[in-house]
Amino acid sequence: MPKCLVCYKWTLDEQDIKIKPEDLSLDSSRAKGKISDFDRNAIEEAALLVEKNGGAVDALSYGTPTVKQSLKDCLSRGPEKAFWIGDASAEAADASVTANVLAAAIRKLGQYDLILCGEGSSDLFNQQTAPRLAALLGLPCVSFVNKLSVEGDTVTATRKLEDCVENVTVKTPVVISVLSEINKPRIPSMKQVLGASKKPNEEIKIADLGLKPEDLQPKAVRKSVKGFVMQRKNVIYKESSAADNVAKLKASLVSEGLS
Amino acid sequence: MAGIFVFSEDSALAGQLLTPALALKQSLAQPIVAIALNEADAKALASLGADKVVVLAGKWVEGLADAIYSQVKTAEASVLLVGGTLRGKHVAAYVAAKLNAGMTTDAKALRIEGGKLLATRVLYAGLAVCEEEVTLPAVATIRARTFLPPPASATAATIETVAAESDTRVTVGEVTSTSSEGIDITAANKLVAVGRGFRKKEDLKLAEDLGSALHAELACTRGVAEDDHWLPIERYIGISGQTVKPELYIAVGLSGQVQHMVGCRESKVIVAVNNDERSPIFEAADYGIVGDLYEVLPLLTAALGK
Repeated sequence: MPKCLVCYKWTLDEQDIKIKPEDLSLDSSRAKGKISDFDRNAIEEAALLVEKNGGAVDALSYGTPTVKQSLKDCLSRGPEKAFWIGDASAEAADASVTANVLAAAIRKLGQYDLILCGEGSSDLFNQQTAPRLAALLGLPCVSFVNKLSVEGDTVTATRKLEDCVENVTVKTPVVISVLSEINKPRIPSMKQVLGASKKPNEEIKIADLGLKPEDLQPKAVRKSVKGFVMQRKNVIYKESSAADNVAKLKASLVSEGLS
Repeated sequence: MAGIFVFSEDSALAGQLLTPALALKQSLAQPIVAIALNEADAKALASLGADKVVVLAGKWVEGLADAIYSQVKTAEASVLLVGGTLRGKHVAAYVAAKLNAGMTTDAKALRIEGGKLLATRVLYAGLAVCEEEVTLPAVATIRARTFLPPPASATAATIETVAAESDTRVTVGEVTSTSSEGIDITAANKLVAVGRGFRKKEDLKLAEDLGSALHAELACTRGVAEDDHWLPIERYIGISGQTVKPELYIAVGLSGQVQHMVGCRESKVIVAVNNDERSPIFEAADYGIVGDLYEVLPLLTAALGK
C-alpha cells in the first residue's frame, strides 16, 4: 500500500495574462491562480494509485503566501492532507531553491514510497523538480511517465520519450514525473469539494526546515520578462469568393518566392 | 573554475552544442570538454572544436547522470550545456542539483556577462520571452536545431574513455521505437499543419494533397496527435512537441494557441486558413484566407500545384 506525496505548484493561469502593448510588460492583474496543469495529472495519478492499491496520498506545495488558496482545490482532487509552505522567497525562487525547499520539507515529513510531480510547471516549465528532488534526496528518478503501476515495493512505469517508449521497473522509494497524457484529471464533484474543507492541512514554516541562506538564494534570476510579439504581415484575404482569395494568396506566395 | 562541458546522447545535437560552446570559450577562455557515449561521436565532436572528449560507456543515458556530475565537478566546470531532449533534461536537472547550480531550460541564446551566464528563453508556454542570469557554474539545456553545428576544424583533441558507474536502481526493460515513419518534419522546408478544424481523419487527405502539390510535409496540433491519434506524435508542433523553422508553414483549421505557435513561430512565412476571422492564428500569420477549409484547400492545391 503505497504512501504517496504529490508536489504541486500554484501558478497564474496564463490564459488571463495580457501583454501591455506600450512596453510589452505582462499584465497579470486579472490572472487567477490554478494548480499547474501537469501537476493536476500527478495528483490524479496518485489518487488513482491509492484507489486501486490502498495507501495514502499527501500533497505538498511551496509558493508565495497565496499558495494557501490552492488547498481546497488540491484536497478535492484526492489527497488526504496538504502541507504548504507559503513564503515570499517563492516569488523569485528558481528551480534550485524550489527543490531545496521541497526536499527539506520531504525529509521533515518522513518516508514516502512515491513522490510524484508533473513534468513541468505551466508558467516556467523548467522541467527540473523531479530529477532535482531525486538528486537531493538520494532517490532514483523515473521521468516523463505515461503509465504507472505499483505492486508491493515494485514500481513499473512506461516512459514516453521523443523517439521511443521505455518500460522501467524500480523499487520504492522513487521520484516520478508524469506526462499530461497519463490520465484525465477529475473535475471534483460537489461532494469532493465539500469534503475538501474537512480535510486537514498544515503549514510548514520555511524557518523550520534547517536551510542555509544560500539554499534560498536563486542561482537563476529572471532579469527581464517581455511579452513575445509576432512580427507578421497579417495580410488576410476574406472575400466571399474562395477562388479570389486563393488567387491572391498564390500571388503573395509567388512574391515571397515560395510558389 | 575551468571548462565548458557539453553533452547530448543525440549525436547531431551534440555537434550543435559546440556552436554556443565555442562562443562561450571566447568569453571565458576555458577549454571545451565534450562528453560522448561512443568513439564515433567522440571523433566527430573533436573535429567540431572540442578540446577534449570523454567517452562514458553506458546503456541508459539517465543512469549516467552521476558519472557526468563527477566529470563536471572534478573539472570545476563553469558551464554545462546539455542537449534538450527529455533524457537530456533529466540528466541536466539532476546534475544541476548535485552541483547546487542554477539551470536554464531550452535556452535560445547564451552569453557571458559580468561573470554570469545570460540566457534567453520563453515563459508561459511562449507568451513571454525572458532573460535569465545564472551564476556560474551554470547548466543550460538547448533544444535541437537552436544552433547550427560549427564548421569542422582540425583540432588536436584528446579522447579519453572512462569507465562509468551507471544507476542500477532503475531496470530498463523493453524499449519500443515510436518513430514509426522515420520522418523528421523538423528538416522539412515546407509544412502543412492541421488542427481540429478537420471533421474526421479521412478529411486530412485534403491537407495531404496540398502537401504533395507543394512538396510539403504534414504537421499537426497536439489535439490531432494526442487526443484523436490521427497523425503520429512526431508530427505534432508545440511547446512539448516539435519546434520547426520551415520556409513556409501553412496552418489549416487550427486556432493558433500560443502553446502551438511557440513551436512554429520562427517559420519564415506563415499562412493561415480558418473559417473564424477572429481566430488568433490570423494575428500570427503573414497571409491568411478566411473561409471553409473544405472549400479552400482543393482550390489552393489546384492553384499551387501548377
